[in-house]
Amino acid sequence: MELLQQIVNGLMLGGILAFVAVAFTLTIGMLNFLNFTIPALFMVAGMVTWALSSAGPHFGGFGWHWVPAALAGIAAAVLASLLIERVTYRYMKARFGDATEHALPLVSSLGFLIVFEHLAMTLWGADPQRFELPFENTSIEFAGLLFGVPHLIALALAIVLVMLLNALLTRTQLGRALRAIAENPNAATLMGIEVQRIVPVVFVITGALSAFAGILYAASYGTVTPFMGDAIATDAIAGMVLGGLGNIWGAIAGGLLVGLVKVLAISTFGAEIEKIPVWGLLLLILIVRPSGLFGASKIGKGKF
Amino acid sequence: MTAALRLQGVSKSFGGLKVIDDVGFEVPVGSRTALIGPNGAGKSTVFNLVSGVYPIDAGRIEVLGQDITHHSITDRVRLGIARSFQNIRLMPHLSTLENVMLGEHHRSHALQWVSGAKATARAREALEAAGLGTYPGQVVADLPYGIQKRIEVVRALMAQPRVLLLDEPAAGLNEVETAELRRLLEQVSATGITLVVVEHDMPFVRELCNHVVVLNFGRKIFEGTPEAVHRDPAVLEAYLGTPGETGPGEGGSA
Amino acid sequence: MSGYLSGLIALLAINVIVAYSVFVPAAAGLLNLGAAGFVLVGAYTAGGLTALLEWPLPVAVACGALMAGAVAFAIAFPILRTRGIYMVLATFAFAEVVAGVLLNIPALGGAAGLTVMDYAGLPVVLPTAAAVVIFVAWLMRTRFGLSVRALHDDESVAHLFGVNLRMTQVAALTIGGAIGGLGGAMLVHQFNFIDVQGTGVLFSIYVLLYVLMGGTQTVWGPLVGAIFFTLVPEGLRRLSETSPSLAFLEEGRYMVFGVAVVLLMMWRPQGLVTRTMLERLFHRVPVAPATTETRP
Repeated sequence: MELLQQIVNGLMLGGILAFVAVAFTLTIGMLNFLNFTIPALFMVAGMVTWALSSAGPHFGGFGWHWVPAALAGIAAAVLASLLIERVTYRYMKARFGDATEHALPLVSSLGFLIVFEHLAMTLWGADPQRFELPFENTSIEFAGLLFGVPHLIALALAIVLVMLLNALLTRTQLGRALRAIAENPNAATLMGIEVQRIVPVVFVITGALSAFAGILYAASYGTVTPFMGDAIATDAIAGMVLGGLGNIWGAIAGGLLVGLVKVLAISTFGAEIEKIPVWGLLLLILIVRPSGLFGASKIGKGKF
Repeated sequence: MTAALRLQGVSKSFGGLKVIDDVGFEVPVGSRTALIGPNGAGKSTVFNLVSGVYPIDAGRIEVLGQDITHHSITDRVRLGIARSFQNIRLMPHLSTLENVMLGEHHRSHALQWVSGAKATARAREALEAAGLGTYPGQVVADLPYGIQKRIEVVRALMAQPRVLLLDEPAAGLNEVETAELRRLLEQVSATGITLVVVEHDMPFVRELCNHVVVLNFGRKIFEGTPEAVHRDPAVLEAYLGTPGETGPGEGGSA
Repeated sequence: MSGYLSGLIALLAINVIVAYSVFVPAAAGLLNLGAAGFVLVGAYTAGGLTALLEWPLPVAVACGALMAGAVAFAIAFPILRTRGIYMVLATFAFAEVVAGVLLNIPALGGAAGLTVMDYAGLPVVLPTAAAVVIFVAWLMRTRFGLSVRALHDDESVAHLFGVNLRMTQVAALTIGGAIGGLGGAMLVHQFNFIDVQGTGVLFSIYVLLYVLMGGTQTVWGPLVGAIFFTLVPEGLRRLSETSPSLAFLEEGRYMVFGVAVVLLMMWRPQGLVTRTMLERLFHRVPVAPATTETRP
C-alpha cells in the first residue's frame, strides 16, 4: 500500500514535470532552442501568484483572490516569454540569419534566467514563502490511496493540453505553419508563412505551460522561492530527453517516468540517491540512443 | 612514368543521385592540369574524393603509383596531397601566419611552439613569395576576399605537397591578382609540384595549363591538350548545347 | 592587506582557475554546462585526502587535479559521440551524476557537505591561478593550441591538414577537467568546506556565462570574464552599503551580470576580448580596406 501511494505521489510530481518537459521539448522541436528561461517563467508565475494573493509588506502584496492572482501570474509569464522571443530568438535570427545555428539563444536564455531569478530575489527576498490556497490540503481518497487535488488537476490538465497541442499542430493551419517553420524556416518564409508572426505563438504556449506548472506546483507543495524553477527544470529536461527531443507525448511520458523514479528512489533509498538513476540513465541515453526512449520527433532540424 | 594522379572507373552517388559516373583520367607528373566543365559537372566532388573527404563507391584512385582508394585523410595528407577550396575555408579567427602554418601541421608535433623562429620564417617566406608579405599578423576574417584566396593557396603550399589541388583559385580575383596568382603557380610548378586546377576562367587556364580534363554530368568527356579542347565537339556541346563557334567561355566564367 | 580584500582576491583566483577549465574545451568548440562536475571531483578528492587521510596539502591538491583529469578522460570518449545540443545536455547530465554519486558517500559528508581543516590562503591560491593562466597561454601557443583553434573554426579542413580531431577534443576535455579539479581543490581548502548543493547547476551556468562573456577567442577572455563576474557584483554590493536608497543593488547585483550577458549576446557574441581587438591594440596593424566581402 505504501508502495502504491509512493507510485501515486511519483505520478503526481510527474504530472507537473510533464508540463515543463513539454514546454522544453516544444521549443527544441520547433525552434531548435534549449530554452533555459523556462524555469524562470515557472517561477515568475508561481511567485507573482503568491505575491498578489497574499496580503503583506512585500512587493505586490495586495491580498487578491487566488483566481485573478493566478491569471496575473500566467500573464506575467507569457509576457516575459514574449520579451525573450523578441530579444533572444528574433533578434538573433535577424542578426545572424538562422538562430538555430548558434548556441547564442541558449546562452542568452541563461542570462535571462539569472536576471529573472535575481529580480525575484530583489523584489521578494531569497527566503521560501508560504503559499496559501483554498484547496491546498484537499486530497481525494480512492481505494485507500491519497490523491492530492492540485496534483490531479495538473495531470489532467497536462493531458488535455497536450491533446489540444497535438490537435493544433496536426489539424490547424497554424499548426501546419509551425511545423513548416520547424522543418525549414527559410523555405517557410518563401511559402508565404509569416514566420515573424507565428513563432511568438510557440513562446506564448511555452510561457503558458510553464506558468500552469508553476502555479500548480506552488499549490501542491505550498512554497515558492526565486529558485523554485531550477530543480524542476533539471528534472523536466531529463524527462524531455527520455521522451525524445521534440516529442510531445514522449515528454509527458518522460516527465511521469522521472517523477516516478525520483519519488520511488527517495522513499526506498533515501533522498540522496535519486540523482544517480535519473541522470545516469539520461547520460546513457544521450550517448547510446539520443532519440530517447520513444524516438525524437521528425520535425525540426535536429542539429544545434 | 607513373602519373601523379590517376582515377580509374571512379563512381560516387549521394542519395540516389550519381554524381561521378565511371570517371577515369591521368594527371602527368609535373604537369599543370585543368579540370573543367559546366557547373555541377562534379569537379569539386572529384577533389573531395581524392583528398578523402568522401569515400568512393567504385573504382580506384592512385597517387604517384600508390593506391590510395582506402587511405585515411591523414595518410593522404602525409603522402603529399594538399588542396584549396572553392569557397574560402581559412580559419577565420586565426591570423594569416597561423593559417599558413596549418599547412605543415601534419609534420609537426603537439607541443612544438607555433611561433618558433624557423617555422615563422618559413611561413613568412612563403607569404612573401606570393606577394602577401604585409599581412602576417592579421586575423584573416578582416582581410579582403582576394587576399584570403591567395592565402589559402599558400597554406596548401606549406604542406609541401607533391600534388596540389586548387579549386577555382582565380574566382573573384581581379586582373592584377589573377596575373600574380598565375605567376605564383608557374613558380610552384617549376619546382616539380603537380598542379590540378578546377577553373572557369578560360584565359587563365589557357595560359597556365598544359593538360585538360573535361567533365560533364559526372562523366569525363575529354582529356587532352588545351588547344584540342576548343575543337572537341563533345565539349562544345556540353557548354553550349549545340556545336558552335565559341567554346568554353572566351572571356571569363561559364 | 585586509581579510576582506584577501578573501576577495582568493575568490577571484579560484574563479579564474575554474574559468580556464571551461575555456580549454570551449576553445575547441565544446560547450561545457557541467563545470561543477569536475570542480566537485577535485574538491572532494583533495578535501577527503587532507581531512580523512591527513595527506599533505600539495599532494592532495595534485591528486584532486589528476582525479578530475582522469574522470574527464574517461567521460570524454562517450560524450564526444554526442553533438550540439545533445553534448551540452550530456555535460549537464554528467555533472548531475557526479553530484549524485558524491551525495551518497557518507564518509565525505553526504548532503551536509565536507569540512576540511587545512587552509589554503592567498599565498597558495594566487600563484596557482597565475600558473594556470601561464600554462594555458603557453598551451594555446603550441601546435596543440593551433589544433584546438583550427578545430573550432573548421573541423573538416582542420582534418584535411592533419589535425587529429578526436584526440584533440579528448585532450581538451581532459586538460579542462584537470584544471577544474585543481580549482575545486583550491576551493575546498580556501573555504574549508564544500557541498554538492552549493556547487551545482547554477555554478556551472555562471562559469559558462562568464567565460563566454570574456570571450573564447583568446587566452585573456576568461580572465576578463572572471574579473567581471567576481568584482562587479562585489562592487555593487559595496555601493549598496553606502546609502539606504541603493540597498536594492545588493540583491540585484547578479542581475547586472545577467543583463550584461543578454546584451553581449545581442551585440557582441564573440565576447569582450576578441582576436581582432588584441591585434589592433598591440600590433597596431593597419587594417586593409575590405574592398570585397569578408567572411562574417
